[in-house]
Amino acid sequence: MERFASRRRSSAIMMGLSTGVTAFGLVFLALILGTLLWKGLAGLNLAVFTQMTPPPGGKGGLLNAIAGSLAMTSLGVIVGAPLGMLAGTYLAEYGRYSKLASLVRFINDILLSAPSIVIGLFVYQIIVAPLGHFSALAGVVALAILVVPVVVRTTEDMLLLVPAPLREAAAALGLPRSHVILKVAFRAARAGIITGVLLAIARVSGETAPLLFTSLNNQFWSSNLNAPMASLPAVIFQFALSPYADWQQLAWTGALLITLTVLTLSVLARWLSASRTNK
Amino acid sequence: MNATPETMQNAAPKITVRDLKFYYGDSLALKGVSLPLHANKATAFIGPSGCGKSTLLRVFNRMYELYPHQRAEGEVMFDGLNILDPGQDVNLLRSRIGMVFQKPTPFPMSIYENIAFGIRLYEKLPKSEMDGRVEKALRGAALWDEVSGKLNASGLSLSGGQQQRLCIARTVAIRPEVILLDEPCSALDPISTAKIEELIDELTDEYTIAIVTHSMQQAARVSQYTAFMYLGDLVEFGETNHVFTAPRDKRTQDYITGRFG
Amino acid sequence: MADVAMGAAALVEERSPGRSKALASLKFGDLVFGRLTQAAAALVLLILSGVILSLLLGAIPAIRAFGLGFLVSEQWNPVTEKFGALAPIIGTVTTSIIAMAIAAPVGVGIAVFLTELCPQALRRPIGIAIELLAGIPSIIYGIWGLFVLAPFVQAYVEPAIIAVFGPIPVLSSVFAGPPYGIGTLTAGFVLAIMVVPFIAAVSRDVFDTVPPVLKESAYGIGCTSWEVVRRVVIPYTRVGVIGGMMLGLGRALGETMAVTFVIGNAHKITASLLAPGTTISATIANEFTEADGQLYTSSLIALALILFVITFLVLAAARLMLARLERRKGR
Repeated sequence: MERFASRRRSSAIMMGLSTGVTAFGLVFLALILGTLLWKGLAGLNLAVFTQMTPPPGGKGGLLNAIAGSLAMTSLGVIVGAPLGMLAGTYLAEYGRYSKLASLVRFINDILLSAPSIVIGLFVYQIIVAPLGHFSALAGVVALAILVVPVVVRTTEDMLLLVPAPLREAAAALGLPRSHVILKVAFRAARAGIITGVLLAIARVSGETAPLLFTSLNNQFWSSNLNAPMASLPAVIFQFALSPYADWQQLAWTGALLITLTVLTLSVLARWLSASRTNK
Repeated sequence: MNATPETMQNAAPKITVRDLKFYYGDSLALKGVSLPLHANKATAFIGPSGCGKSTLLRVFNRMYELYPHQRAEGEVMFDGLNILDPGQDVNLLRSRIGMVFQKPTPFPMSIYENIAFGIRLYEKLPKSEMDGRVEKALRGAALWDEVSGKLNASGLSLSGGQQQRLCIARTVAIRPEVILLDEPCSALDPISTAKIEELIDELTDEYTIAIVTHSMQQAARVSQYTAFMYLGDLVEFGETNHVFTAPRDKRTQDYITGRFG
Repeated sequence: MADVAMGAAALVEERSPGRSKALASLKFGDLVFGRLTQAAAALVLLILSGVILSLLLGAIPAIRAFGLGFLVSEQWNPVTEKFGALAPIIGTVTTSIIAMAIAAPVGVGIAVFLTELCPQALRRPIGIAIELLAGIPSIIYGIWGLFVLAPFVQAYVEPAIIAVFGPIPVLSSVFAGPPYGIGTLTAGFVLAIMVVPFIAAVSRDVFDTVPPVLKESAYGIGCTSWEVVRRVVIPYTRVGVIGGMMLGLGRALGETMAVTFVIGNAHKITASLLAPGTTISATIANEFTEADGQLYTSSLIALALILFVITFLVLAAARLMLARLERRKGR
């Protein structure tokens, strides 16, 4: 009887602990998001979306940073996602059982979790250094390299979920391999693949380190891909570490904008994959 | 051990299998099978699980090539050409020898698209003609009356039996010469099964049918020829009523009377 | 033989006119597509090789100048051009260890809560909340750490720690003041908060793979919740959980933004965790764009190479472990 009581006690303690840490974790989540909202909203006004980043002590907004982030992220995804989808298709279809595929899968997983600052340095070496200047183009390439592994992984996983009988039925009609893949398998895996792209976008939206050595930053508006371009993460980095109060305020607002974007994309991705499984 | 056909048709068979061996990796799954598939007749393949009947069926349209470590040796003559010859255009082959699978597999598209999809691969048709072909295929699968009002609905919204008939319509739409059916009714309820058996009866007039089935009653109902297979061998082949009423091999007798399987 | 083939082909053509032609026109595109996917896959390989190669090439001047001594030298003087990786390496390892020491039990604890205790209705919302947390960019954690956590730690946590460990002989120098607020310990905290959701999510997924019958049989013979977790769930998922933790470690090691804001950026190795320090990624982030001189830049790239090698090893090990788990699942 005593044994039982002590066992029950240990269990109660451990379970209590696990509940405790969960509450602890959720509290921190609330704290972080709460602070973000509080401080970020304080600086959220129309000027943020209509004016450029100001010099210290000046009044301004984040327009060039927002535009730069939008531009570079979109281009990075436009370049990286198709590449990732093609490579993922190879892994799931043509090369499913090949040695090359196993190697690529392994390498891809390494790239997926590799420090993004290393990717930034790589792009610096191959683009910025030879050209002699920072550029948005280099930033786009760095972001694309970050997008590829995510899309490769999700594309392969989604294609592997397509049942073999469906593929066989398409092949049985005489469809050549590429048609079986593009017209039937991709169609069946469509929602999952889009989810993967959304997740990739969410991931690169907040990346700072790779941009620091590629697109650098730009105090003014720039639409020149061959020159440094402002981006939200780079601006936040610069402004937050500065001693100026208005810069710090803009940093908070920028952080809020990024977080809202990432959360919205993640929620969208979930909703998409949930509606697919409900079908 | 191969059995020779009991009766010979006047015309040459549509497909003639000669000494077909099939390997999964190193293990021999079909041990030298020879048999004819007679034109415009239905040939049923029966036998216990693992006897090789599905394997044999999937040789006819070289479906096994989708997977590594599977290979076939021997001759399968179809209109004077050996199907197994690597020089054969396998896509063309599959357009002439269609297949319906055990589990209904409608494509993730509308009912109309499911049918038009295959047709479009081979022919460029104006919409009115395509509409006609889709209708004809659906009528040919005894499905038209049930879906004519909802051609734009997803193929997946149909019941199991309807989905399977959609798959049959899809196969028929591209006008093959041979239709392979791999246990087409095993996932369906009795009513759908009956409808499809009726369909097979009608299809036999226009096509050559090969059907793998677990049900001997089904084989007896729909086929004119039956092949009994056991452990990778073709044990007996002949006209269906002879095989069922007067089998020559003891193993056939045992299977039919339910001693095993 | 040839004319039999010709005759048969003619027969086919007669029955299905244009069919072979239609298929032939598709053949080229089919081939191109296949090759394209193969090329894309090869590109992934190329990228990784490119990264390793460019890091190696960039680091050569530093390697030539300092040799292996680079790894154990604490110096970091841009003026005299003497550089050593020891301080950043120790900082990287220390912050990651602190982070994992906190995040591992907390993350697993959350996973245990979600799979065993959580009321069914709350399971999805909390699970989603954890996953959303895992997706927040690290720079957010960085500025939150700088403006919110660091002052708090400086005002309350560090004085308390200093007071507690003050009288204890060895530990007093590990936890010696003054309470800067920013420093290695705070960076470890921020990193921990960042890694917890990741470990929680991975552990939860791994715990979910335990067949319900297994747990039910344990409950059935009267095991308490904790005993089921300890004796059934964790042994069954051990490999996966460790793999997940190693993935988390890999991320912590390479983290830049969460750490750069609060580490203090001091190229010194001090005994005290409360003092400022630096990590490899923080050093690179802070100094790369200002670095002039080939040796300075090369030293920073050498640092990146070291970081890449460390994370590569950790991630490769994690992947191998998780691959073993997948094979057990029968994938």
